[in-house]
Amino acid sequence: MIHLLKQQWWKYTAVIILLYVLIGGMLVPLGPSALSLYPVSIPSDTSVNFTITGYHTHFEDAKDLQVWFKPTTGTQFYKADSIVPIINSTVRIVFHMPKSNLANKHSENYDLVVNDSIDGTLTTVYAMTVAAGTGESSPAVTPANQPEVNQLKFKAFAFPFQKILFQTIRNTFFHVPMWFAMMFLLIFSLVYSILYLRTGKIEYDILASQAVATALLFGVLGLATGMMWATYTWGQPWPNDPKLNGAAIGVIIYLAYIVLRGSLSDEIQKAKISAVYNVFAIVIFTLFIFVIPRLKTVDSLHPGNGGNPAFGKYDMDNHLRMFFYPAVIGWALLGFWIMSVRVRIKLLQHKKSLL
Amino acid sequence: MRKLLCFIIVIFTVLYTSAQSAEPIPSLMESNLKIYVVVGVLTIIFSGIIIFLLSMDRRLKKLEEGH
Repeated sequence: MIHLLKQQWWKYTAVIILLYVLIGGMLVPLGPSALSLYPVSIPSDTSVNFTITGYHTHFEDAKDLQVWFKPTTGTQFYKADSIVPIINSTVRIVFHMPKSNLANKHSENYDLVVNDSIDGTLTTVYAMTVAAGTGESSPAVTPANQPEVNQLKFKAFAFPFQKILFQTIRNTFFHVPMWFAMMFLLIFSLVYSILYLRTGKIEYDILASQAVATALLFGVLGLATGMMWATYTWGQPWPNDPKLNGAAIGVIIYLAYIVLRGSLSDEIQKAKISAVYNVFAIVIFTLFIFVIPRLKTVDSLHPGNGGNPAFGKYDMDNHLRMFFYPAVIGWALLGFWIMSVRVRIKLLQHKKSLL
Repeated sequence: MRKLLCFIIVIFTVLYTSAQSAEPIPSLMESNLKIYVVVGVLTIIFSGIIIFLLSMDRRLKKLEEGH
């Protein structure tokens, strides 16, 4: 293993993969989306001019733009009366909603559904509200039940445009792989702790302890980047999320490993006790990170936890995956690289102490 | 080493205060579809790794000096 750690090829691989992830992950644009609609509140029985602003949309280029409003609670679609694309990102429409269609409600919320052959179907929920006026109602409009929409998502090579997340969806390549790198290093450390307990070779102890030290770097980076991301998407740096608290406890467990090693002066004793501690630590760490946040009774904001749909099913799309999996490998290799340098420093130190 | 750290701290303080006086930080972070959150995350990762490497560098230096 020491021999492999000294080799260069996998370090170059890490650099190439990380460059690919950084450049690609930052340059690929976000997909199209209907960003905003104005006005957001209209009276019934009045023809209102709306302006729809899109992001990376092709309202003008696609000759077949269609605009509908759909009651948020209903299934019918109401077509806009006139649709005039101004530029690719702006379209003016005229729309009116008779009071008779509101079914005696004071007001009703509508989703905006925009469809064209380039961008596919873009939906904005709760786009606007129609308030029932007091005057005479114009004749009811017959809604279309199943409009002919292009079901294709988008042709462009792009990351999904998600409200609230917006560009921060790119953090998938930087925040999430921190935890993967930490996990790989911890598993590596567990293997060498067990090997140390079986053979008593001091090199194995050095490998295990330096892997934990490097894993801690990635754990702290994971927490810090997560706090940064959470501040601007979940609203606060530390929402009461079981995965967050579990990760923090996990990092503290491994900080205790470093403290434990520092407190023992005898080399053999230090190696043996910390190896045993490491085997127990990974069990507790796994429980806090992977088991408790997944319990049905626990609510978690993280995807794939607390009864949320599993990670990868709804949160990832194929364009994200093209960068996410390389990112995991790249950051993990970088972690092993840093670890290998630490191991070599420690081995030198050990050799020197024997002289 | 200490000089370098002082330099980094001064640079960050200057940047931080200048960013604050220009416009409040939340609006900068929320602007341009929150792209600056990604920039912030990358800055955290980069500086974290650099600090870690500097600490390793110090350890290696001690070893070379023969203590």
